[in-house]
Amino acid sequence: MSATITQYRKYHSKVGRSRATSESTLVRYSLIGITLAFLGLFLLLPLLAVFTEALRKGFETYFSALIEPDALSAIQLTLTATAISLPLNLVFGVAAAWAIAKFEFKGKSFLITLIDLPFAVSPVIAGLIYVLIFGAQGWVGGWMSDHDFKVIFAIPGIVLATIFVTFPFVARELIPLMQAQGKEEEEAAMVLGANGWQMFWHVTLPNIKWGLLYGVILCNARAMGEFGAVSVVSGHIRGLTNTLPLHVEILYNEYNYAAAFAVASILALLALLTLALKTYVEWQSAKNAAGIEKEIMEREIKE
Amino acid sequence: MSIEIKNINKGFGSFSALNNVSLDVPTGELVALLGPSGCGKTTLLRIIAGLETPDSGNIHFHGKDATERAVREREVGFVFQHYALFRHMTVFENVAFGLRVRPKHTRPNDAEIKRRVHELLNLVQLDWLADRYPPQLSGGQRQRIALARALAVEPKVLLLDEPFGALDAKVRKELRRWLRRLHDELHITSVFVTHDQEEALEVADTIVVMNQGKIEQIGSPQQVYDQPATPFVYQFLGNVNQFNGHATNGEIQINNTELKINAPELTQNSPVLAYVRNSDIEVYKESQHTTSTINARIQHIHAVGSLVKLELQLSHQSDVIEAELTQVRFKELALSQGDNVFIVPRNIRVFPSTATQ
Amino acid sequence: MAQKNSLPGFNLSLGYALLYLSLIVLIPLSAVFIKTFSLSWAEFVEAATAPRVMASYKLTFGASFIAALINVVFGVLTAWVLTRYQFFGKKIIDAFVDFPFALPTAVAGIALSAIYAKNGWVGSLLEPLGITVAYTPLGVIVALTFIGLPFVVRTVQPVLEDLGAEVEEAAASLGANRWQVFYKVIFPAIWPAVITGFALAFARAIGEYGSVIFIAGNMPMVSEITPLIIITKLEQYDYAGATAVAAVMLVISFILLFAINGFQWWNNRRFGYVK
Repeated sequence: MSATITQYRKYHSKVGRSRATSESTLVRYSLIGITLAFLGLFLLLPLLAVFTEALRKGFETYFSALIEPDALSAIQLTLTATAISLPLNLVFGVAAAWAIAKFEFKGKSFLITLIDLPFAVSPVIAGLIYVLIFGAQGWVGGWMSDHDFKVIFAIPGIVLATIFVTFPFVARELIPLMQAQGKEEEEAAMVLGANGWQMFWHVTLPNIKWGLLYGVILCNARAMGEFGAVSVVSGHIRGLTNTLPLHVEILYNEYNYAAAFAVASILALLALLTLALKTYVEWQSAKNAAGIEKEIMEREIKE
Repeated sequence: MSIEIKNINKGFGSFSALNNVSLDVPTGELVALLGPSGCGKTTLLRIIAGLETPDSGNIHFHGKDATERAVREREVGFVFQHYALFRHMTVFENVAFGLRVRPKHTRPNDAEIKRRVHELLNLVQLDWLADRYPPQLSGGQRQRIALARALAVEPKVLLLDEPFGALDAKVRKELRRWLRRLHDELHITSVFVTHDQEEALEVADTIVVMNQGKIEQIGSPQQVYDQPATPFVYQFLGNVNQFNGHATNGEIQINNTELKINAPELTQNSPVLAYVRNSDIEVYKESQHTTSTINARIQHIHAVGSLVKLELQLSHQSDVIEAELTQVRFKELALSQGDNVFIVPRNIRVFPSTATQ
Repeated sequence: MAQKNSLPGFNLSLGYALLYLSLIVLIPLSAVFIKTFSLSWAEFVEAATAPRVMASYKLTFGASFIAALINVVFGVLTAWVLTRYQFFGKKIIDAFVDFPFALPTAVAGIALSAIYAKNGWVGSLLEPLGITVAYTPLGVIVALTFIGLPFVVRTVQPVLEDLGAEVEEAAASLGANRWQVFYKVIFPAIWPAVITGFALAFARAIGEYGSVIFIAGNMPMVSEITPLIIITKLEQYDYAGATAVAAVMLVISFILLFAINGFQWWNNRRFGYVK
């Protein structure tokens, strides 16, 4: 379910509970305690471990691991792959959501399932499929080596694998949101004489901007952090086809733990930033939805 | 601009929403499409607007075929049931939208847009809300802004889908009077959809009663109320009693009483349905010699309001009928619950009983 | 698929979506099956059921199942605590539940192995008890529990939120005690979401690679997961073998995906609520 819709519903659920439908203080605190212990052990501890290990040998080692040329080129490649895959999946997400949410056609729910496919596929297999097509023994591998164009063990492969694993994010977020919004506003724009692009820019886009942003944030986090799929197609050539997560692996396998965790800490910070942005967007869209509903209710009562 | 609708058919899957519908809307008229939900009235309105495409049939605007014309070229104003105001734009920008999206060479300049929008906001008496956002408005205000927005493009036809459906009773009454006045001022050919008979009777010049994808009757409010063409229209408009009877030689028999009515078409011996408005049921304490009466017993009296409603149990049928009396007449008769009375139905309309829906 | 609708762009948007879907997802995925069909049945069976591969299935599916079960227990508990109780820092913890979604799997992998190694924060505590987590199947379960944690919470949470206090009050007013209210009123309402969350966590776990390989030790027959087998075979240029194993995994993943979607569809029809 779309997170923006979840937020919208969240607002409507009541918080206050009477004594008849709550537990005793002892039970309540025990349950909270067990939950916090579990989350602390499984979520907080790994986060703390990353930073502790990264700084174990001091700040100097930490920073030198980050500004080392191979690390910088890994950062650059990660940003490049993300910068290509994000807009492509964004356009796809909007197009798919438009067709699915605003029109009726046969096979719609099957199409929605197909869009989810990349999430069901192991990242390793996501890498494998491109090797089967573009690899040396692949369908078009021979033709490509004749023309001196490399996909596998090169940047195009990394980009393709990244696009694949982040494929559904934007579409998944937009489809339920646009379905819930219906098509009356777009119809109104058409009746008022707007053409297709005017309708899209002035009416549709402003209405879906929070959902869109939410999808982009998730897509971005996954694109920068993908490991398995990229690992299969990359070839692990230092300074050339290494993304940040792959760089972490190489350093770790070389027993250069401090450097591995230093680079990992960048990715961990990215994860924290993602959570913060995501929460902010959820909060914004909930406020939007809630504000609208609340004002309607108030006005209606006053009238 | 006049609208001529010719033999429109429209289905959704196996469901037939409109079945060979034809209708003429003369220039400057205010027409109500009235019917229960699912009767096809909204579909017809959306076909006129170009928001739906008919499976077959034609729409002519002022004599010209507009069936294939795109929505944005039809020059219609459409007011949506839930207003469909652009929630991220101010009231001003909502009303200005239709002008701003025009191609450059026909687009008015900013000053002109400003003037026109304020003129319209004044027309709907909401100029003071120009900078608000739709969520900050009440339902009635949003309704009027939606109307102003539709009028901004100077439409030749104004279409309204359940314009007062989402409002509470009091606002509704005010707004429909206001709409009538506005129409008298602007004289735009207008079609509105409603399921509320009172609304249609009060506002429209012409009422089109629809049921199950077909038009049952077209007429002035008086015509459809006083001379319903079909049993459906009888039941849908106003309060009416239905009698099961039997026709023999141009007379009908109800409840073992022969009622003489002029229905020469009913020559055969056949079951019929007779309809009588509640207000056309006369109640007497004694049997009337001049005309045939039906025996009944008063089951309940609602004496609140200007009219007194009686629930009457017919003596030989299980049916309960309702009669409406003025307070004066009620006091004159000095009726009380449990009394046996004699009733005389006036203005009986008879339909063969197969003609029911 | 002509569409009679006043809004524009149907053919363009659907056409583009289908083209992109085919190019990026459908055609490449079909490569796995086409490659598999180039094998004879005997070759396929040999590649897909070799003892080392069978051991990896056992580990992958077994560990995924256990991890998903752990997530059901703690996921329902977490969802319950987050929807029903007020406590300090609740909003942050709520947001933090998605941490495993946001954290790159490789980072999770090295962090977990650092914690559970013999000299790590948790590993050193478990060592005297004779429990070794890192580089054993237990480590695989820990990693899979981590990455699957948000699924059950995020599917159950909205259902619990939607479940108004009214039905519970009604049950209480009819004389049910708190435990009866839970298993007669609340549990029947949330179980479809629990099943869905379990299936999602399980499906995610069987394909997981990054977080597992660092902590698993990757010993053949003992702690080697199926995705790693695929990679190993690829690195040995055994494309056919890698593809055969991948085909098995893909079919299972597809069945799970369709089962989850079908279950949700059935459930929506039956109970009439979304999710």
